[in-house]
This record gives sequence, C-alpha cells and structure tokens, in this order.
Amino acid sequence: MKKLSEFKLGNLKKINTESISKYMCLISVTLVVLIFFVINPKFLSLYSIQNMLLEMAPLLLLAGGITFVLFTGGIDLSAGAVASCTCVLTGLYIDNIGGWIVPLMIVLGVVIGLINGFLITAFKLPSFIVTLCATSIWKCIALISSGGGSKIIPLDKRYLVNWASAPLLGIPVMLWMTLAIIGLLYFIQRNTTVSKSILAVGANARAARMAGTNTVKAQITAMTICSVCSALAGVLYAFKMKSSVPNIGDPLGLMAIAAVALGGTSLAGGKGSVLNTIAGVATIIAVTSGMNIINVHALWKDIVIGVILIIAVFINSDKTGKDVIIK
Amino acid sequence: MKTLLKTEKLGKIYGTNVVLHDIDVEINQGEIIGLIGENGAGKSTLMKIIAGVEKSSMGRMTLRGETYSASTILEANRNGIGMVFQEQSLVSNLSVSQNIFLGREKKFRKYGIVNWGKMNVVAKEALENAGVSNVEPNKKVETLPFALREMVEIAKVLNIVDENSKRGSIILLDEATTVLSEEEIQILFGQMRRMAKLGNAVVFISHRLDEIMEICDKIYVFKDGGQTAVIKKEDANLDLLYSKMVGDNNSSEYYVTSRQTVAEEEILLSVKDVSRFGEFNNVSFDVKKGEVLSICGVEGSGKESLCSVLCGDLGHTSGTIDVSGKKVNLSSPYAALKKGILVVPKDRRDEGIVGLLSIKENIVISSLDRLSVGGIYISVKKCNQISENWINKLKIKCTGIEERINKLSGGNAQKVVFARAIESEVPIVILNHPTRGVDVGAKVEIYSLIRDITEKGCAVIVLGDTLDESIGLASRIIVMKDGLVTGGFDCQADKKPTQIDVIKMMM
Repeated sequence: MKKLSEFKLGNLKKINTESISKYMCLISVTLVVLIFFVINPKFLSLYSIQNMLLEMAPLLLLAGGITFVLFTGGIDLSAGAVASCTCVLTGLYIDNIGGWIVPLMIVLGVVIGLINGFLITAFKLPSFIVTLCATSIWKCIALISSGGGSKIIPLDKRYLVNWASAPLLGIPVMLWMTLAIIGLLYFIQRNTTVSKSILAVGANARAARMAGTNTVKAQITAMTICSVCSALAGVLYAFKMKSSVPNIGDPLGLMAIAAVALGGTSLAGGKGSVLNTIAGVATIIAVTSGMNIINVHALWKDIVIGVILIIAVFINSDKTGKDVIIK
Repeated sequence: MKTLLKTEKLGKIYGTNVVLHDIDVEINQGEIIGLIGENGAGKSTLMKIIAGVEKSSMGRMTLRGETYSASTILEANRNGIGMVFQEQSLVSNLSVSQNIFLGREKKFRKYGIVNWGKMNVVAKEALENAGVSNVEPNKKVETLPFALREMVEIAKVLNIVDENSKRGSIILLDEATTVLSEEEIQILFGQMRRMAKLGNAVVFISHRLDEIMEICDKIYVFKDGGQTAVIKKEDANLDLLYSKMVGDNNSSEYYVTSRQTVAEEEILLSVKDVSRFGEFNNVSFDVKKGEVLSICGVEGSGKESLCSVLCGDLGHTSGTIDVSGKKVNLSSPYAALKKGILVVPKDRRDEGIVGLLSIKENIVISSLDRLSVGGIYISVKKCNQISENWINKLKIKCTGIEERINKLSGGNAQKVVFARAIESEVPIVILNHPTRGVDVGAKVEIYSLIRDITEKGCAVIVLGDTLDESIGLASRIIVMKDGLVTGGFDCQADKKPTQIDVIKMMM
C-alpha cells in the first residue's frame, strides 16, 4: 500500500510541474493583472490599457527576435544596444531622410546580425561573448552620434512619426505592425526549413550536425532575425518617444529575455514558441505599468524584472535531470 | 597461494541490456591475469566493477575472504585495489608529483601550506618504485610524451595501492600497452612480474594476444558479456584463444542473409589513398551500388576516424574521395549530405537523436531541403504524413508523431534515426554500430531495413557492433589494424568467412 501511495504522489507532482511550465505565461499574466486590478482598479482603465498596449509594441518586437536566438541555445545581449542605436539614428535623421529611414535601419539590423552570426560561427565564439562586446560597441555608437543626450524630433516633422502611436480600432498602429511581424515570425518558426535547423541546433548541436543540418546557416539566420527585430524596435521607440534617446535600450535586453523566458521558451535552447512570447511580454508590461500605477518608484523596476527572470528560468529548467541537454 | 578476490555470478545490467553475466573470476596472490574478448564483450565493465567505478547488478564478490563491494574508486583504493584506465586520467596542467598525490596532499601539508619539495622527493621514490627513472616529478604532465604519462599513471596507482595495503594488492591495467613502445612494454612487464612476486596480483586487458600469452598466468576469455573459457598459460595458443573469443554460433537467418544483394557494377563511393595524420594511412576502397561493406578492426585500428572522415565530421590530410565518379569535399556532415552521404551515428543519445525534439522533427531533419519548396517553405502536413508513414511502417512504439524522441526506448529511437536516414534518400548510408544498445527484436527489424535499402540500390558501409554482425550483414569486408587496411574478404551469402579468419587479421 505504501508503495502505491508513493507512486501516486510522484505522478501528481510530475503533472503539476509540467503543466505549470506549459501554461505559465497565461497563468502569470492573469495573476499579475488581477493583483494590480485589486490594488488599484484604475489599472484597467481605458487610458491605462491604451498606454500598456503602446508600451508593448517595441518590447514585443525585441522579445520576438530574441526568441529565435534562444531557440539555438545562444543569447543576444546586444538587442537593447542595437535598439538604442537605431532609435538615435532614426531620431536624428528622420527629418532629412523621412520615412526611408525605416528600411535603412532594417538593413543596418541585417548587417549587425550577419556580423554577430559570422563571428559566432566562423570563429566558434560563444554568442554570449560576441554579443556582450557588440553591446558596448552599439551603445557607444548611439552615445557618440547623439552627443550623449536625447534630441527631440522637430515639431514640423512630427507628422512623420505621430501616426504610429495613433489608435486604429482601439489598438495603436505600431502594435498592429508588431503583431503582423510576430505573425511572420510564427510563420517562419512553423513553416520554414531554417527554423527546423534552428531548433535542432538548440536541442542538440552535435546530433543536429551529424544529421546534416546546416548549423552555420541556422545560427546566422537566428542572429539576423534578432538584430532586425531589435533595429525595428529602436525605430518604434523613436516614433513613440518622438525623440532620439541614446540609453533607451539599456534595460530592454534583460526585460525582453525575461519576457521570452516567462513565455516558456527554454534558455538552454530547443523548445518554445514565438506566440508564447506575446503573453510573456504582456506580463512584463503589466508588472512595470502596474508598479507605476500603485506608485512604486520607477527605479525599483529592474529589481523586480531580475527576480521574475530567475523565477521564470527556474520553472522552465529541467529539475528531474532526466533529459540532460547536450550541447 | 592465497586467493585475493573472487567473484560469483557477477553481472551488470544497463536498463534492459545485460552487458555482463555469470562471471566467476578468481584472482590469487602472485598471479598475472589476462582478460580478452572483442570490443563490448564485458572486460572493461568487470574491471570497473572491481575498481569501484560501476556497481554490479547481480552476484557477489569476496576480497580476502570477506564480502566486498566498492562504490567509489577511493573505497577500492582503501581496499588495495587500483586501476589504470584506458583513457588517461592525469590532469595535464599539474606537475607529475601533484598528479601522483592528487587528493592525498594531506601528508605534505602543514598549516594549510603544502611542502612541494618534500612531495617531489617522495614522488621520485614512487616513480623509481615503478621503474620510471627518467621523469622529473616537478615537470608538468602536458610536457611528457604519452608513453611516459602512462608510466606516471601506473606509478600513481602503484603508490596508492601500496600505501593502503601491504596484504597483497590488485592492480588493474585496462589496455595499458596501446600507447607504449616495445621497449616500454618490456619495462612495464618487468614491473608487473615484480609486483606479482611481492604477493600482489595484476589484471591485464589487451587486444594483443601475443602480449597476453607472454605475460599472463591465467587467461579469462569473454564473449557477449559472458565468460567462455579460463585458459592456463601452458595450454594457451592463438587458435584456441580465437575460437573461444568468437564462439560458434551460426546466424545467417538472423541477419536476413537470404535477401543479401549482389553488388552492381556502378561504383558509388571511391576512397583513394585517404589518410588522416596519426589515425590511419592510405586507405583505399570502392563501394558499389547494392553493396554492404563492413569495416572490421579493434578499437584504435582507425576505423572510427575513417568513418568520421567519410561522414564529413573530420577532415582528412591526404587522398581523395569520389562520389559517383566526382571528387567531393566533405567539409561538414551538411556537405556530405548534399553529396549523398549520411551517417547513423554510434552514440545515439549524444549524436543520433535530437533529444528535445519530437519524433516528427527527428525524421525530417535530414530531408529538409528535399521536402521544401525552394529550400524555404516546408509544409507541416507533409511532414506529419511522412512521419505517420514511418511510424506505421517500422512499428515504432510511441504515443504519436509529436512525442519527444528521448521518451522512446533505445530500439524505437534507433528506428527513428533509420527512418531519417532512409527518408533523406541518400545513395550512401554509413552505419556506425547500428544496433548498439538495441534489443533483439528491434535488431532483426533493423537488419531487414538494411536489406531494404540495398535492394533499392543504396551502398551501405557498416561498422558492426559485433564481429558476428559485421560478417552477417556484409557482402564484402575490409579489415583494419593499426591504421592500415590489412586485408579483405568477399562475403557471398552462401560463402562467408569465419570469425576466426577475420579476427586473425584484426589482432
């Protein structure tokens, strides 16, 4: 009898942790929204929701891109710095170049991603180190080109950026755009050969190689997707803030990674989904905006994000030790 | 002569695989004992159980009359049992003396500070004790040639065991001679004899039967995890050892020999004078359409690295490889796949399956370009269909195509890897230990699959898990020894060479 009861307990436990990590993104976002709503009902006022949706757009882009890098088992720490850089460049040059700045920034994102991917695959450097160095480079370029401070987009050129924050059917245009891009990312994840390779590399790089997948292409593609998304996120920040802010991206990298982890994507690679990242981002935004609404000082935000990331990674991590991840 | 260690019905099970069973070994004081057998026959496993690296799953051991089992190497050391491992276990960036006393620095320590000078002096004594006089104890291990490292390792184990037991120790040497020169081997043998004379016992594994016959007083022969014979020194001769190593089972039905195909004229793969520095030299052979070529050889014969070169995992230093008459550059497994070569790797867990992914993703992963539209778009429906087909065709036991592959048993997971290889439609398939860790039922199914693909006109290269399998599957055999091809056999379905013929060329 004792044996039987032990067995049942074991089974129950297993189901519990598995379903938690599966639905964690939905559970956490509901929980967070509920808590803040109870503390301050204004949290779900129309204005507050509009604001949160606007906040969500660029972070969602950033996190969507990072999701692909995490699929490979790598990491892109430079996403925030790239966003800072494109935010500054967009703010500075939009009055000269106009709307063409957007495709230019996409090209810049492609170039950055290719450089990162090339360094990682050609010289077998860890993505951690490459993107850490890239962070300092792009951050510095952002600071140099901005002269170290924010610069507002002149009033007579505002028409170039205002449309992005305007609501369309109650949702800001820039969030529509972002959702369209997430849709595209989901298509890439589901229906392209390269995403199959990307996941395989993350799940077991050695086996993926032996099976004849193009591991180099997989890693470079993932880095490029991420950098393009980061670059676009920077553009959106410039549109949203209506100015160039050289340090806008500093806290974003960590926030985006926390959001992806909350969405159930494994930081060790090989599993997860771009769609889950949406819920992860919603959670993070709800937390930061909620703290604002209940009057917690903004400086505390990073502590909370750090703690959330650790908890999210813990829930997703493999605690049984049974399926050891081999890289 | 006192008995030191005795095993009764000792055995070891991994999962559902019995790798060792019914072992009755007696180790007496003053004896040098030899263990021989093919790769995977269970010799190393037995040594590891005695040395405390692995736990036995069946039977018992008695040491000096008392029940014995060790769960760590240290525990075995305390009981006077020490092992020199096949793969070297020295820390290369530490000095010789630091390695010899690694974990035992206590006696040289005072107030937390280690007296290195004193350690070097004692280490020098330990080295001389083992007959090694040309090594400075303060030199770093990485600066020593391999043979000397091996001697240092032996000196270390001798010292540990001597320190712990004056009552007769047991030293286990797992293929200790493979990297040594003839002269060094003789020094080692001298040491072994000296140790035996002092009342210790030495257990010695080697693939070189001449060495075994020269030094050992008693030889235990292993096959498929069982013990097939105990032969005294005076009774030993090569033919007897060979025949006991291979047994006498006839298994043509098992290997579906009736469906063995006759090779066609068309040459699919042609290897010309290919070498990889330090691993194998000037290997040449052709593989024809519909042919199964077995590459036989003991570990270290170079067949494993030859296999890695052919599947694009390692580069070669000279020679050319042609696929269907065209010279190819196999710079990566991806490049090899493009040219039509895919491997079923040996280490299923680390190299074969992509553990976190589903059965479906594991099946299509080598066929992505072929199944896609323009190399980019791939239809989920198509992938599902293909995977469903394979699961039904190979009777893969699972809950569905989305099940994670690492939840499957060894045999079922291996079937998925085979499905992947066949789905890729490559003309040349390399099977590196295709049935390792696979149960008997799945083995037979895998053998029929191999017949299926040769009937379709594929060329297959096999590195068999056992010699029996290598011969059973092959339509031609080449044998490698010490990095060279030493011979070959034609293996028509009704005219196969015996295992003894082949093993004579291997050893």
